Amino acid sequence: MGKLPPSMRSANPLTSFRTPSSSSLPNQQTPSSNPPHRPHFSLFKKHPNKSSKPSSSSRKTLTPSPQIPTPKPIFKSPSLSSAKKTFDSLISTSHFPLNVRHHNALLKSFSQISNIEDSFSFLQHMVKTHPSFSPDRVTYNILLTQSCKSLSNEGDVDLSIVRKAIDLMVINGIQPDHVSIDLAIRSLCDIGCEEHAVELMNEMSLKYCLPDTYTYNLLIRRLCKVRPLPTVYRFIDEMKTLGVKPDLVSYTILIDNVCKSKNLREATRLLGVLSEAGFKPDCFVYNTIMKGYCMLDRGSEVIGVYKQMKEEGVEPDLVTYNTLIFGLSKVGRVEEARKFLEVMADMGHSPDAVTYTSLMNGMCKKGDALGALALLRKMEENGCSPNSCTYNTLLQGLCKGKLLEKGIEFYEIMKSSETKLEASSYATFVRALCREDKIAEAYEVFDYAVESKSLTDVAAYSTLETTLKWAKKVKEQRQAC
Amino acid sequence: MLPQLTKKTITENPKKLASLIDLANLPSTLRDFVGQSQISRLRCFMHVWSYIKANNLQDPNNKNVVNCDEKLSKILLGKSQVELVELPMLVKLHFPKEPK
Repeated sequence: MGKLPPSMRSANPLTSFRTPSSSSLPNQQTPSSNPPHRPHFSLFKKHPNKSSKPSSSSRKTLTPSPQIPTPKPIFKSPSLSSAKKTFDSLISTSHFPLNVRHHNALLKSFSQISNIEDSFSFLQHMVKTHPSFSPDRVTYNILLTQSCKSLSNEGDVDLSIVRKAIDLMVINGIQPDHVSIDLAIRSLCDIGCEEHAVELMNEMSLKYCLPDTYTYNLLIRRLCKVRPLPTVYRFIDEMKTLGVKPDLVSYTILIDNVCKSKNLREATRLLGVLSEAGFKPDCFVYNTIMKGYCMLDRGSEVIGVYKQMKEEGVEPDLVTYNTLIFGLSKVGRVEEARKFLEVMADMGHSPDAVTYTSLMNGMCKKGDALGALALLRKMEENGCSPNSCTYNTLLQGLCKGKLLEKGIEFYEIMKSSETKLEASSYATFVRALCREDKIAEAYEVFDYAVESKSLTDVAAYSTLETTLKWAKKVKEQRQAC
Repeated sequence: MLPQLTKKTITENPKKLASLIDLANLPSTLRDFVGQSQISRLRCFMHVWSYIKANNLQDPNNKNVVNCDEKLSKILLGKSQVELVELPMLVKLHFPKEPK
């Protein structure tokens, strides 16, 4: 038993409560592709060597063992009878006793290709023909997850099959815990059944156990996307009566959401609510609000948030400074934004590509494309390499600043590094080229945009077409003069 | 940013988009050129443009001008020389607006 936990841990629900989808996938899916082979291999190796390390590490990294050729899926058809046969032959030919992990892997791989009803029957069959197998929590969680996922295939969504999975769990003496709730809610959210997720969460919270904050916040985040705000608040109130209170993360999610809908007044109100609830706003909350003001081009408020952070003693991080510089550049207060470049360096945050690009964007908007180019040099001196956004910003700035020659040079650099063009910089560049009667070059840029898949063919062509139409008109007018 | 913009152009003017990507029955002249009986305006333009590139039909002295060969001239109003600026318009002539 002492050796088992490391390998068991991967299937243990405890690890899956943070990111069940990601953590449970590699462990539970891999066995699904070759359930009999892999455990065979690892166990075989484990027993004589008395060391669990190599086997568990090989399992973690998922490297296929050299001795075993490419694993074949154990269940080839979703048919229940053939799965039963496969299972029976496995049991009779197996050189070692199968443990609960194998059974779970088998159940999982079968349920993934089959339907949920057959999966229930398959479990029954496994218990009947192999009485030493007693299904554990993982077994039932597999069925629960699959039952939630199965809902998407039916037009009429009905939670009864999910309830059946839960009931089966309870009948066998296992209380659904927060992991079960998380798995179910996540599966439901994945297939876009948020309303049913709410229903199920209420039901499970009342009957069995409360969800943890991860599940709760996940659902809030999803609800914010699909529901109007008041109904999200109603959900929060309902959960409060059950005993689940929103935490700082929940409030940050809410604030982010209202900021996105440009409702800064509500964001400020929420800030008050979370203080009343006994939370102290942290860096993330302030960053979110600052981002909200940036969206609305309210430079003074952006600085206001920064000052408030300072007053409250919240340490600004790199994101804060980037947001600040982005916001100020956006509204044209480039000089102030530049000052913060020094401030952030003093505070020990080195500016990154985002910082510089925001600043360059501001400078280009002011028509100072050369200044932006100088900043690029400074940026590279500081060991920060430009990204595609930087290049696009500069290309656009140079074209707008009537520095087409430099723009073409710059485009060549972008092309050699296979940087993709953004729609706006592509349009600006093509227009600038056409203005200078460099039609062939414009066609060449069009080719590059299509080849590099920067834009869709339609987008690239319609831009080219409109620009050429405009260029032709300009030309005719010039000739008429 | 990119998908948003593309989406915007699509939602902005669905008719314009349709005129670009909908397959149209081709007149016999064009059918010979592209080797298909149906093509969208976008594909047709791409076809003509790649034909120009493949056969080096751009004027070496002025890249903005295309010296048509016999085949190309047939589908571009019989002109011996066309400017790249007007190429989309010339292609468009083969795709008349459908009467309502």
